[in-house]
Amino acid sequence: MAVLDADLQPLRKEENRQARTAWGLAAPALALMILILLVPVCVAIVLSFSNYALGNPGFDWVGVQNYERLFTRSTYEKMFIATFTYVVTVVPISVGLGLGAAMLVHSLGRIGDIYKTIYFLPVMATLLAMAIAWEFMLHPTIGMVNRTLAMACGTWMEAIAFFGNGCADGFPLWLRDRDYAIWVVCFIGIWQGFGFNMVLYLAGLTSVHRELYHAAEMDGARSAWERFRLVTWPALGPTTVFVVTISCIRAFQVFDTIEAFWPQGGGPNKSAYVMMFAIFEKGVQQNLIGIGSAITVLFLVFVMFLTLIQRWLVERKVHYG
Amino acid sequence: MTRDWLKHLVLIFGAIIVLAPFYMMVSYSFKSPGEIDRGEGGFFGRQEMMIDPRCVALRQPDRADIEAARSRFPNEDDAGVQEALLTETTAACAMRPVVFNYTKAFTEAPLIRYLLNGVVVTVSIFLIQIVVALPAAYALAKLKFWGREAVFGLVLFCLLIPVHAIALPLYIMLAKLGLTNTYAALVLPWTISVFGIFLMRQFFMTVPDDLIDAARMDGMSEFAIVWRVMLPTAIPALLAFAIFSIVAHWNDYFWPRIVVTGNRDLFTPPLGLREFKGDGDGSFFGPMMATATVIVTPLIVAFLIAQRRFIEGITLSGMK
Repeated sequence: MAVLDADLQPLRKEENRQARTAWGLAAPALALMILILLVPVCVAIVLSFSNYALGNPGFDWVGVQNYERLFTRSTYEKMFIATFTYVVTVVPISVGLGLGAAMLVHSLGRIGDIYKTIYFLPVMATLLAMAIAWEFMLHPTIGMVNRTLAMACGTWMEAIAFFGNGCADGFPLWLRDRDYAIWVVCFIGIWQGFGFNMVLYLAGLTSVHRELYHAAEMDGARSAWERFRLVTWPALGPTTVFVVTISCIRAFQVFDTIEAFWPQGGGPNKSAYVMMFAIFEKGVQQNLIGIGSAITVLFLVFVMFLTLIQRWLVERKVHYG
Repeated sequence: MTRDWLKHLVLIFGAIIVLAPFYMMVSYSFKSPGEIDRGEGGFFGRQEMMIDPRCVALRQPDRADIEAARSRFPNEDDAGVQEALLTETTAACAMRPVVFNYTKAFTEAPLIRYLLNGVVVTVSIFLIQIVVALPAAYALAKLKFWGREAVFGLVLFCLLIPVHAIALPLYIMLAKLGLTNTYAALVLPWTISVFGIFLMRQFFMTVPDDLIDAARMDGMSEFAIVWRVMLPTAIPALLAFAIFSIVAHWNDYFWPRIVVTGNRDLFTPPLGLREFKGDGDGSFFGPMMATATVIVTPLIVAFLIAQRRFIEGITLSGMK
């Protein structure tokens, strides 16, 4: 026994030493992870039950009052409607367009690369700058959009109701019109995001084996649609899960465009009052930290829930079709 | 062949919509206010000489100027000299719209300073992220220690938390520490990249153990192994991560908007542009679009030069 112990001791010492170095190497990351990510989550949860405000000497616990407000006040009802309208519009369309663009670009081979480059530009560009550019484009009188639409006046296109009304009473005010505001923001979200999805899908498409298509054809899948349904779509299952999740999380976080268009109030009649903007307005600008924290907690719940669903789907290796 | 034409048609239509705001941004940055108002002048504008009214207003000749210039116009009375001086000022204030827009962009606000702030902030964020994440990733990938699974579990959990979502509590903590309106506030929340740790760990798992053992034989410390053995092998992954990180933070508007209030010395490029928009009175479309162009251009140019790397970097998060 004694001999064995003597043999093991240097080994154990070495192991101890390695463990110490490992902890030493991981310590800064661990400390920052706790301080910057975990502590704030706890702080948000705790403060969401209080009426805390920066600069006040004390605060009171208010129970679930903040959450109650979130679910009863009409402002927050508008917040939820705006956020979900945005997510539910932007995610499917930007994923669909991303997939469509990827398939077209992929089928064109090398010439397709030029489109890939162009469609990816909005992903790289500072969104705030592009939001301001869009604002000019959508300017009711001197904007490019309404000028282009006005070119249809006096042609057969006036027969279409939208153009007929536009030519007679002026085209929409877009950002100042509560019926259009949120849809314009959605459009810009799609404009900015679909190139990203396209690139992810392109990566997915290159990994689909050619033989699979031949096999499908042998099995009688004659039409392009059949081949897509039987081969491409199932093979892209994991990519789709990922693309949908990341699009959702990004869509939930929309802020730049809203703040650029409507620094106060979140759009005409609060029609574009999304959650990130609400956190900013309530928590930071109006110093209502209790309610801001409650929105933060709710936001985190949504995002974490989505990511967990994604991980669960990936682990099950879901293939659709 | 006909099918291909149809595909091109659809894709070109998409490309026009995608490029429209870029086209407009650059085009407006070339044009005079009048051309923008009337929507004429094509892409570059006519580039006719224009007179900057504010420049003329600032240089109104006063009594002293007239006295000083009297010798140059010996045959004129006071009003005549004033007239002549005004003509000179107007001539001096005339410039091409493109020059006007871009000089205004750089003089109306300290744009150079904003750009430098942007560079300082993005580069510090990236460097600190690497300094923090690399050793941790190495420990998680290659060292055996009690609690490793727990630490990695924590990393996986933290991947669920987007930093933007916890901006409010972070802001409160920084405010309590008196750190709002400092460079530290702009950088601190981003110093930990859980995603970076995760990515680097996955990458280090593929590095053969022999390489590390050989380094240990040579008497290298673990710390030295991280920086002198692991870092060089990780260059491609690091490059992709650099692009991911730099693009995200150069373009970020939300976080700087929260922690920087009023102190122009700390403005990042998007904040500077936002401020420009705030006090614009409409006639400033040209200079504003020039500012936007200046802010957007560096990344776009870098992207066009190194496309493949950029796409790799931005879609990194897809490689999980």
